Amino acid sequence: MDVLLDADERMLRDAARAFLEAECPPATARKMESDPLGYPPDLWRKVAGLGWQGMALPERHGGLDLPLVQLGIILEEAGRAIAPLPLHSTIVAALTIAKDGADAQREAVLPGVARGDTVLTWAFTEQDPRFLPETVKMRAKADGGDFVIEGVKLFVDNFAAADRCLVACRTAPAPTGNAGLSLFLVDAKSPGISHTPLVTLAKDRQSEVVFRNVRVPRANLVGELHQGWPVIERMLDRATALLCAQMLGAARKDAEMAIEYSKYREAFGQPIGAFQSIQHICADMIIWVDGGCLLTYEALWKMDQGLPASVEVSQAKAFCNDKCAAVARYSQTIHGGIGFMMELDLQLWFRRISAWTMRLGATFEHRARIARALLDHPGRVVLGRPVPVVAED
Amino acid sequence: MDFGFTPEQEALRREVRAFIKEHVTPAVLAEMEGHNEGLIGVTRGTSRGPAVRELFDKIQARGWLGISYPKEYGGQGGDRITQYVVEEEFARANVNVATAGSSAPAILAAGTEEQKRYYIPRLLAGEFSFAQGFTEPRGGADLASLQCRAVREGDEYVINGQKMFTSGAHYCTHLYLMVRTDPKAPKHKGISVLLVPLATPGITVRPLWTMQNNPAAPTRTTYGQSRTNEVFFDDVRVPATALLGEENKGWTIGAIGLNLDRVGAARYLISVHRDEDIVNWIKENRFDGYTPADDPAIRDKVAELWIEAQVCRLMTMRSMSIVEHGGHFTYEGSAEKVWSPEHGVRTAETISQMLGPYGQLLNGSLRAIEKGIFAHQVMGAFQSGINHGSVQVMRDQVARRGLGLPRGRKA
Repeated sequence: MDVLLDADERMLRDAARAFLEAECPPATARKMESDPLGYPPDLWRKVAGLGWQGMALPERHGGLDLPLVQLGIILEEAGRAIAPLPLHSTIVAALTIAKDGADAQREAVLPGVARGDTVLTWAFTEQDPRFLPETVKMRAKADGGDFVIEGVKLFVDNFAAADRCLVACRTAPAPTGNAGLSLFLVDAKSPGISHTPLVTLAKDRQSEVVFRNVRVPRANLVGELHQGWPVIERMLDRATALLCAQMLGAARKDAEMAIEYSKYREAFGQPIGAFQSIQHICADMIIWVDGGCLLTYEALWKMDQGLPASVEVSQAKAFCNDKCAAVARYSQTIHGGIGFMMELDLQLWFRRISAWTMRLGATFEHRARIARALLDHPGRVVLGRPVPVVAED
Repeated sequence: MDFGFTPEQEALRREVRAFIKEHVTPAVLAEMEGHNEGLIGVTRGTSRGPAVRELFDKIQARGWLGISYPKEYGGQGGDRITQYVVEEEFARANVNVATAGSSAPAILAAGTEEQKRYYIPRLLAGEFSFAQGFTEPRGGADLASLQCRAVREGDEYVINGQKMFTSGAHYCTHLYLMVRTDPKAPKHKGISVLLVPLATPGITVRPLWTMQNNPAAPTRTTYGQSRTNEVFFDDVRVPATALLGEENKGWTIGAIGLNLDRVGAARYLISVHRDEDIVNWIKENRFDGYTPADDPAIRDKVAELWIEAQVCRLMTMRSMSIVEHGGHFTYEGSAEKVWSPEHGVRTAETISQMLGPYGQLLNGSLRAIEKGIFAHQVMGAFQSGINHGSVQVMRDQVARRGLGLPRGRKA
């Protein structure tokens, strides 16, 4: 038990922070909001040179085989810099291919990801925004050696930039339990696919993607037919925990901007940071971000150990949704009117943090998942031990 | 980062649990009932009978007291995380093996060789116990304004003044006493710490009664005790060797102990016990046709409390990690002392709203739930947010020490 960053982790964090401070100023994020592609390709290649995309991918496919905890540190720094890169969607899809894909799929996709040649994304959500298997209606019908996909996906990240997309489909009509879903690796430029950008709070790149008669070879099935839910659930859990890290990085920076501002902004004859009303909300902001980090890294660490981590992921996301939103709000409050100016960079953080609280599971949904684990299984719960309760020796 | 315990620590945890099952007997439980003194649970020093004292002999024989302390002072030379594992298991059974409290680390850090050899083994064994003589009638939050005076006369200090809320002074053996030794110096620079036997002539201990534990709360509930004390000093003479560390450096020395008081197994559990209890209670109970566990509003609140409780646990782990590295808290101990007590209060208040009128019923009442543990917690929970530095003072510390925010102008 040692929840502090070790020497390697501190070095990784410091190096990532220094790189992004030099290479990715807020002006880049601002510029990319109206850029057609949405990210600077040269920066994407530079971070590949640092090994970020391949950090947690297997060495034999060009990766560095490092734990998710270290990847979390990178995403935290990317969030801190609000780096406009398709990092999260690429990594989430790549990790799923690495963990649950066939060897041929890995070899076809992962080296390109690690080199920074490839952008990936994934598509789960349809009209019902919850992360439950029954929300997936998109059909994939077997037809000869292919599957034919028909349906509409929403809120797909970076689809315009993506080379490939993991798509959750229904392959068996009536869901019995969690069965009947399958995950496919789809070429994003396949005939029959069209997409429309959504206009979002963070001015990031999300699309509604329509699949009409899209043919996917059977070899592109990731995991087993009809047994896709556990693969998808693990993907969503990793995606959620990594989004928490990204959100916390942004929230900590947002809090720091307010703290620094309060040290030199004067009112009533002294810096506003000398007023306890300001000091106490600054203290709360840091306490919350620290709490979110502890929850998030515990979830990532458990995944690294191969332990069940769904409850830990939901703990982290529900907490981060609440607390990061509050941090962003307080930071705006401390800045006062100036914080609303488009010219000031603060609003870039506010809009992203707010948007990320709404992605990958809203607070109520994650708390409902925790409540199921706590209340709908037998046995006495104890903090620090797994829920649902497992039998003690 | 490592969020797991070692296989050895997990094995030790199981061993402690088995020990508790075997040795925390009905006779021990009967002696504990109704006594909520000190932090969580009974100690050898506060035991009311032979069964608890016998239990402590067995615990000591296993080498489970003072695990992280050096061997030459009666400890086991182990690590702080292992000690935490043992402390948590015992605290869950209402047995307090963290008897050395915060005074032993302060003595270890600042004491003379003679003081270390005299006090630490006896503190670890539970033979000695320190009550904390900090707060005075004129100041709690503004601790440095203390006025209790000690004047050096030859080889002695002569103490005159008064302390308030000196919990445990009626059963502890010693006082960890903060006194003013230089009234002319700036207030933080004229304070010293004296280690004072409570049996010294001139000391008077009088009870102060609080709203807690009336009627007596069941074990495992509320933070502290219904009785605390005021202590008067009339020409109390102690030898100059009672001084801990240097004269007038007591503010820093006192902070060592206070910082450690704000963290640890007992502090953690007192903030989160009721989270576990309410989940386990609603899993198994209903009110006639109404099943709280199926109520969506209650499910949402229970999950929210559970998440917050996990943050309490993880902040405790962070503090233990810092202590294990031999570091000092910048702001982390204060941060934990904001988050966890306030969580405990939110839990108590949320449970009140889950249970409605049943939430009022105290121990001994007809229809009381779980001996009234939730009702007693309403009175006990926020004490933790006040003592050893209120949550407001803690936020000041996080802001100034942790974030470098400036001090305001003096009013």
